[in-house]
Amino acid sequence: MITTTALTKSYNKMPVVRDVSLRCEPGTITGFLGANGAGKSTTLKMIVGLVRPDRGTATIDGRPFGELPNPTRVVGTLLDASAMHPGRSGRSTLTIAARLAGVQPRRVEHLLDLVGIADAAEKRVGTYSLGMRQRLGVAQALVGEPGALILDEPANGLDPEGIAWMRTLLRDFADHGGTVLLSSHLLHEVQATADHLVVISRGAVVAAGRLDDLLASSTILVRSPDPGALAAALQVARIDYVAGPGDALTVDVSGGRVTTEVLAGVARDHQVLLTELRQSETDGLEQLFFSLTAAKAAPPQEAAA
Amino acid sequence: MTTSLSPRTLGIHAAPSAPGPIGFSRLVRVEWAKATDTRAARWLLALVALSTAGMMLVPVLAPTTFDQTFASYLRVAALAVTILLPVVAILMFTGEWSQRSVMTTFTQEPRRIRVLNAKLAASMVLGGGAAVFGGVVTAAGLGLAAASGRPLEANLTVGATTGYLLFVLLNVLAGVAFGALLQSSATAIAASFAFPAAFALLGTASTLVADWIDMSTTFNWVLENNWGGHVPQISVSVLFWVAVPLAAGVVRTIRRDVG
Repeated sequence: MITTTALTKSYNKMPVVRDVSLRCEPGTITGFLGANGAGKSTTLKMIVGLVRPDRGTATIDGRPFGELPNPTRVVGTLLDASAMHPGRSGRSTLTIAARLAGVQPRRVEHLLDLVGIADAAEKRVGTYSLGMRQRLGVAQALVGEPGALILDEPANGLDPEGIAWMRTLLRDFADHGGTVLLSSHLLHEVQATADHLVVISRGAVVAAGRLDDLLASSTILVRSPDPGALAAALQVARIDYVAGPGDALTVDVSGGRVTTEVLAGVARDHQVLLTELRQSETDGLEQLFFSLTAAKAAPPQEAAA
Repeated sequence: MTTSLSPRTLGIHAAPSAPGPIGFSRLVRVEWAKATDTRAARWLLALVALSTAGMMLVPVLAPTTFDQTFASYLRVAALAVTILLPVVAILMFTGEWSQRSVMTTFTQEPRRIRVLNAKLAASMVLGGGAAVFGGVVTAAGLGLAAASGRPLEANLTVGATTGYLLFVLLNVLAGVAFGALLQSSATAIAASFAFPAAFALLGTASTLVADWIDMSTTFNWVLENNWGGHVPQISVSVLFWVAVPLAAGVVRTIRRDVG
């Protein structure tokens, strides 16, 4: 279990993270989604004590990270795969982590196999591709047999096969009761990997919940042979909409007030014929992502005030 | 070897009991390994060894300009060892910031003071080892000199040996302090050569600086086992080059956000 309460951090009076509260349950993968610079990495670093929050708290299994006697045995972290000594071999890098964690040396061989870099174990990390470093970083995160994982952009630099491998590994980890918190700026990556989602924009959480719920509640597509009459009816009913795709209209239902039933009622009341009325499925998360990160996020100066 | 993803493979629930804290000796051993296991570190240590052996030839080959005594040979070893050894100590403290592997280190042991203490202990092992090595090279040099049949004064006292060891350790500690405070390899190495040189230069203009701060004067008293009346001056110098910057470096390391 990973929880944070109102984590807040500013650099030079610029708010970077604002009141971020998360809750990652065992058995789930939480995707921490946001554009580059939205505050994902800073939040993750505050959870593991690398960055001191101005306000707020973070705990792993109920304890602050800094109070875990041997944190590697509780939570594995991969925050930056390029932050490794380039002059050390993959095996040597992993061995150091294993010795500090106090696990058996044979776990190193096992993990090198698991992440698929056993053949390159003797090569220096400086010669590794970013994808290989990500794999080594995952091995390092798993070295202490932790119950939780915190990964910052783990898909970076991986090829499609590597991404599929990573998804399988994380899903297995969660299915066996592990807690996973991973960040990404890639929508489809999170959509394919996570079951819970926290969207962050300009340092603040703008949406959080189960992926299914967030997807389901995004927009409804409604179509009529007479789009003008439909638009007029929606205006009278004070329902916001945008034109498109095609001659259909898209209604934002993330507030929860508007449902397909409500829209059908409006059409009936105004004698408008509907030929299509459904949850928009395609790119639902994409629309959500863009609407949440672009429109709804409060501008930073507002937050500073 | 299996590559299937069983819970055992991934390790969930595998820890049979709550793991205890990381023992200090384990921390020291890991820091020692990190300081010595890279190609760059080994080259640097080889260079320390080579330059020490090379400089030991000077008193052997120039018997008329060098005192042919055990103590003066040992002083040559001390000066030779401490040219590059502080750089090794600096890299122990700055290397991980430069390579950014502090992220891993400080997430494995979030009590940063323990990591710093372990690095400090490892650097003292390094200094002690280097001092012993310097002693061996000194013995070899004396052996060569004796083989040429010249008379050598066997004037090595416990005090002189202690002074020699302290001198080597003080130089390592000065490197440690530079590294801990500046946290950047290039800056700390440059500063560790520039600042002592600058204060030595100032010392030529001001006896106050020369007697109280210039380490080429004050640490030399330690090396020469010449404590008489110099204890306060040596203490101030140690405060200036070791204690104060090291304390500031510890505070800075503990507070610093790892970006």
